[in-house]
This record gives sequence, C-alpha cells and structure tokens, in this order.
Amino acid sequence: MNDTEPPTSTAPGSVQPAGHSVVGRSAISTSGLSKRYGSLDALKDLDLEVPVGTVFGFLGPNGAGKSTTIRLLMGLLRPSAGSATVLGLDIVHDRRALHLRVGYLPGDFAAYRHLRGQQYLDQLATLRGGVDGHEVAALAERFGLDLGRRVGELSRGNRQKLGIIQAVMHRPELMVFDEPTSGLDPLMQREFLELVRERRQEGRTVFLSSHALTEVEGVADRVAIVREGRLVMTSDVMTLKARARRRIELTFADGAVAPVEQLAGLASVAEVEVVGRTVRLEVEGSMAELLRVAAPWGIDRVISNDMDLEDVFLRYYDEEER
Amino acid sequence: MAAAGVFSSTLRDQRRGLVAWSIGVALTVVVMAAIWPSFADMDIAKLLAEYPQAMKDLFDVGGMSTGTGYLNAELFSLMLPAIFIIYGVSRGARLIAGEEEDGTLEVLATMPISRTGILCQKCAALMLDVAVLAVVLFLATWLSSAMFGLDIAVLDSARGAIAMGFIGVEFGLVALALSAATGRRTLAVGVSAGLAGASYLIYLVAQLIESLRPLRVVSPFYQAISRGPIGPVLPPIAWVMVAVGLICFAWSIVVFRSRDLGG
Repeated sequence: MNDTEPPTSTAPGSVQPAGHSVVGRSAISTSGLSKRYGSLDALKDLDLEVPVGTVFGFLGPNGAGKSTTIRLLMGLLRPSAGSATVLGLDIVHDRRALHLRVGYLPGDFAAYRHLRGQQYLDQLATLRGGVDGHEVAALAERFGLDLGRRVGELSRGNRQKLGIIQAVMHRPELMVFDEPTSGLDPLMQREFLELVRERRQEGRTVFLSSHALTEVEGVADRVAIVREGRLVMTSDVMTLKARARRRIELTFADGAVAPVEQLAGLASVAEVEVVGRTVRLEVEGSMAELLRVAAPWGIDRVISNDMDLEDVFLRYYDEEER
Repeated sequence: MAAAGVFSSTLRDQRRGLVAWSIGVALTVVVMAAIWPSFADMDIAKLLAEYPQAMKDLFDVGGMSTGTGYLNAELFSLMLPAIFIIYGVSRGARLIAGEEEDGTLEVLATMPISRTGILCQKCAALMLDVAVLAVVLFLATWLSSAMFGLDIAVLDSARGAIAMGFIGVEFGLVALALSAATGRRTLAVGVSAGLAGASYLIYLVAQLIESLRPLRVVSPFYQAISRGPIGPVLPPIAWVMVAVGLICFAWSIVVFRSRDLGG
C-alpha cells in the first residue's frame, strides 16, 4: 500500500534487509512475557512477533499494558516471567548492546529543562558515540523545532518533537515509540508518520503504541491489540480496517425522503436509527455502497465517526469467545 | 569520550550550585576569621571559666586561645560538617532519584551505557564536587589565617578541609546509594539526614557521658572531628567515613542494576 512512495535513496546507512544478527528475522520476539505488581498483572503471557522492516502498531486503551510492554522491551523493567529478544538480543542480559541499536521515545518524554535542545541532543549523541550533526539539523528543520531554545521553555508539542528527534537521530535499526503523536498538531502528526514510512522504506522496523486505530492505520502494516494486560489479537491493518465499524450520520435535505428501507437493506449497514431528517447508521468496512444509494436523495451533511478502538476489539473479543 | 559522557554532563549540571556553595563556604570562613583578632584580645580564660565542663569538652573550647582552636570550635565542630553533609546529601539524592522523578532517566537509561556505568560516573562527579568544595575550604582557611593572623599551618588547614570533605563524601554516597536503590529522592534525603542527626547525637552523648565514651568511634562526627579537624594529624579512623560511603555505594550498584526503573 506504500508502493507509490518515492524511494529514499538519499538516506545514509540504509539497513540491510537481511539483518546480520536478527534471529528468525523478528525485530521483536516475546514469549510468555509477563509483568506482575503484587497481585496485579500489568502484562500477562505476551507472545508477540514483530517482523523486521515492518511498522507495527501496538494498540489498546490507557492502562492496557502498552507502556509496560515497551518498558520491558527497553530493559527498564524486568519481566516477572517469560522472555523477549529485541534484534536478537535478550532484554535482560544484552541491554547495552540492544540500546546501541534502538531508538526509544518514552510515553512521558522529559529532557533536562535547563539545557537548550541542541545541548541535550549533543549530550545524548556523545553517549551514543557520535551522531551526524547534519541529520539532527535536518530533523529539527523538518519538524520546525528551534534547538536554540531551552527545554523548559518549549511547549508540550515541541518537547515531543525533541523526543522524536533523539529517538531517530542515530538512524537505529529499530525505533520504539510510546504514544508518539500525543501533543503533536495534525500537521506534525502527518510529518511524523511520513518519517516512519521513510524509515520503513529503508528496511528499519518501527514499533509504536497508540490508543487509537485511526492514528496508526495509515502507516502500520500490522497491529496488535492489548487489553487488561493481555494480547487480544494481532492482525493485518487491512483486515482490521475492513471489519472496523463507523458511525455515520446522514442529514437529508429539506423535503427529501430518506431511503431508510434501502439503507437498512445494505450488506455493509449494521444498525439504523432515524431522528427527524437525520439517519444514524453503523457501517462495517467500505462506505462506497452506502453513499451510492444515499447520494441521489439529497444529503445536506455527513458526519463520520470511527468507532472507538475499544468497540472494535470488544467485538473481536466477543466473536472469539463464541 | 562517549564513556565519560554522564560524568561530564553531571558536572556541568551542578556547576552553578557548586559555585554558590563555594562562595558560601569561603565567606563563612573569612567572616569567622575576621572576628578572631577582637576575640583574641579578650580574656578568654576568664570568659570560659563560666562554661559548663561538658560544653568545654564538646567544642574543645579550652583550645580557643589559639587560632586553630578557635576555628575548630566555631566552625569545624558543627557548622562546616553540617554544610558538607547538606551539600553531599542534596547532590547525592538528586543524581539518580531526581532524574527518575523528573522522567529524564527514562532516556538516559536506554543509552548504550550500562547502569553501573551511569551510577559510577554520577558517583565520581559527586566526589569531585565535594572535593572542590573542600579545596575551597582549604584555601579560605589558609588565606584568612594569613590575613587575620590566626597562625594556622598550611598542612593543618588542609587536614581540616580533608576531614570535612570526607564527612561530605560519606553522607553524599549514602544519599546517592539510597537514591539509586529506591528511586525516591525524599526518602534518600530523609534517611541520610536522619543518619547524620543520629551520628551527631551519638557523638554528643558519648562526649558528655563518660561510660558511653567508647561508643563515639562509630560516629562520623567523631571520626571527622577528633584530633582537629584542623591539626597536624589526620587520624586513620577518618578513612572509615570514605570506606562506609563506598560500601553503601557498592551495595546500591547491585540493586540499581536489576531493579525496575520508575516511569
């Protein structure tokens, strides 16, 4: 679905698709990974495979265990049970080697408030053994971030940009982002997703968490959904999108007769409710059929709401149970 | 270069604070020394005759007829140890737990440097900082002695400053160890300050009550203050302060390496 993108031949140091030390071509591989706090299972028996060179969306409502998983993968937490490898390296024993090859944006990114953006990035670059200064400058320009300002003076969105830059500036093989688009305005969200696509194009792997499917559906190849510390499902984005429902409100023009019967008869329409001139529907998959039927009747207004992720996977959950 | 990145950035972070503390320490010493000439003119023996014996023992007021005794009693018995302890504890507690609570450790701990490396570099920066403060104290003592005629030997000044540095390092390392082991700054400050208070209390009680006197050797205050601190000898027991600090620090490495970091 990204065939139309221009190849990013200008990128220095592209990653070889056949990563030299990546076991089984999985960038991330977990087995029974669990984290318990007292009697609370923050994460329970997670089995996950993230193929090299893909963009993987890790979805779930707040408190589902997304950040716990990510912080386990980054070696910040120790698993209570199970194991995981990142780029073939054990998350407990090979922490340092792993950190060298990964970029990480925490969910609640914070930098030293008294430092200027450039100083902060320089500091991290030193710890990483040097980073191309042009790369940093180009990223700052791309995101419109003034690196001369002190971190403490930056808005939340600008701080988030700084966090993104530090996670990608060394061109790591794997980038792990925890809720990367939070705090970014829509324009910058798009820029970020574009960056993600480019990096994938170079053969790198991106693992990003979000609480909204809509945020990642345009860029992710695969998604996993977690809920209450458990993996609910993994799926191709295309499959998930096709099955995701949307709430649609069609308001018909004055004097027009809403074709309620016809609409209700469509295969893609699940539920119909009529309030005055407005018809509320739930649509599964494509809206093409619905619009073709409804358009000739004179529509004043269309409102489309993606259903909550929660709803999407609750349905999955129910179906699995049955 | 990469290997020492945490060390240099930690030093840079605390540069301003260190300058302020240095000025404070230097001013304290200079002001106290400046009073010496008028103090020396008084009939000290008569003045002190009124003091209870216990007070005289505690602050070694008997020696106050010399410049060395004067500074030992006025500054090096309580004020300067307290200053060095407060400096060490506030810095030490901040280094890991402060970063953890601010959220900046989250990125630092995912840089290609081991947690042991992070902790050791922070420790080195802390020790160097306290050492700088001790050097400032030495220079201030030496120079103000020369200016106001306290007649303190250069080496004696140095030993006094070393003893203060040691007590600062000890409590600084204790605070750093607690900070690294728990990730909680207030806990690190609270426990370290409590230990310092207890140390002083033990010293106090042991000095005042004859039968408890042997107990005083366990108190860092005794270890720092006995036979000086300004004086010709740095007692071997003074090294216990550094040893205890390093043992606590070593323990914290083991804990810090394997614990969950707060998010």
